[in-house]
Amino acid sequence: MALDVEPAHTYQWIDAAGPTHPSLIDTRHVTGDLFGFLNIPMAIWIDEQGVIVRPAEGASIERSPMRDIEIPEGLPERMDRMFREVKSIPDDSAAYRAAILDWVTNGADSRFAMSPDEVVAASQPRGDDEARAAACFELGEHLRRTVGDDAAVPWWREAHRLFPANWTYKRQAWTLVTTPEGATENDLMQGPNDVYEGNWLDDVVAGGGGEHYVVRPALDPTG
Amino acid sequence: MITSSLRVSALDFSAATGWDPKPQGMCRGEVCVPSPGALIDGMVDVEQAAKSLGMPLVHDDQHGVWALGSATATGRALSTAVAADPTLIDRDGNPFKLSALHGRKVLLVAWSTY
Repeated sequence: MALDVEPAHTYQWIDAAGPTHPSLIDTRHVTGDLFGFLNIPMAIWIDEQGVIVRPAEGASIERSPMRDIEIPEGLPERMDRMFREVKSIPDDSAAYRAAILDWVTNGADSRFAMSPDEVVAASQPRGDDEARAAACFELGEHLRRTVGDDAAVPWWREAHRLFPANWTYKRQAWTLVTTPEGATENDLMQGPNDVYEGNWLDDVVAGGGGEHYVVRPALDPTG
Repeated sequence: MITSSLRVSALDFSAATGWDPKPQGMCRGEVCVPSPGALIDGMVDVEQAAKSLGMPLVHDDQHGVWALGSATATGRALSTAVAADPTLIDRDGNPFKLSALHGRKVLLVAWSTY
């Protein structure tokens, strides 16, 4: 399920993957609100009865090749720093993939399937600021579609201020202002811009660096 | 939930928020939060429901619309483990509800092009 305000942005990726499962698009980020997604990739597990057995958590399925590349010398300074932060993002992909397979095989008996009370308790914290940020993001997206891009900006800036740990709110907004018109892929640098206060690199660093960038899945009961 | 009115039908409120207005309160799964006065003749008083569920209500004065934020009743993103059932769209733009997948295990992965 893609968290993207423009469905057309997702088509080339969905079509290239040729999925056999439903490929969904959430243009208003309502699943972030309802389930607690605040970055990508994140996932929830839902059992056959429609009950969540693991709440929103980081959900890398494969080790990103970005983690293993040698950073070329002579890169522009910001790009070099971005590579270093990306390489420092924790990688739980092997353990997470194994946990999924364990659940598929063992169902409710899997040690990774939580009880309903455990799921609620382990879901993301939600106070007034986070809830208000959800309203601001949705209002901004509504105005972007019905009035124009500029109408969204004050509401999205407020969403960013209220919930700085929510990367989907920020990356969605940054991408729309930093991607050149007519580009076939989004600008992944999401660098400094004149519209929003933050940008990817500086916000990652302000949050403690790449190692704090993801909500790591709690897969080890003793950890 | 986006609305231009603070009175909406119970059906619309449920579809937008995942909370079902019932005589005993606002309900999702096994959880019901008392919300006296919020449901009258099939219509929901959005301000009253928002107050009961701890949902912030923000208003854009210039464009005359409100947005209703998430419930904060439990202090967590989830109030119940029963999965909400928002209407999303599929690759071809058709509406799709997660409940269409009942009977199967679902791994709902959020990704993006950014």
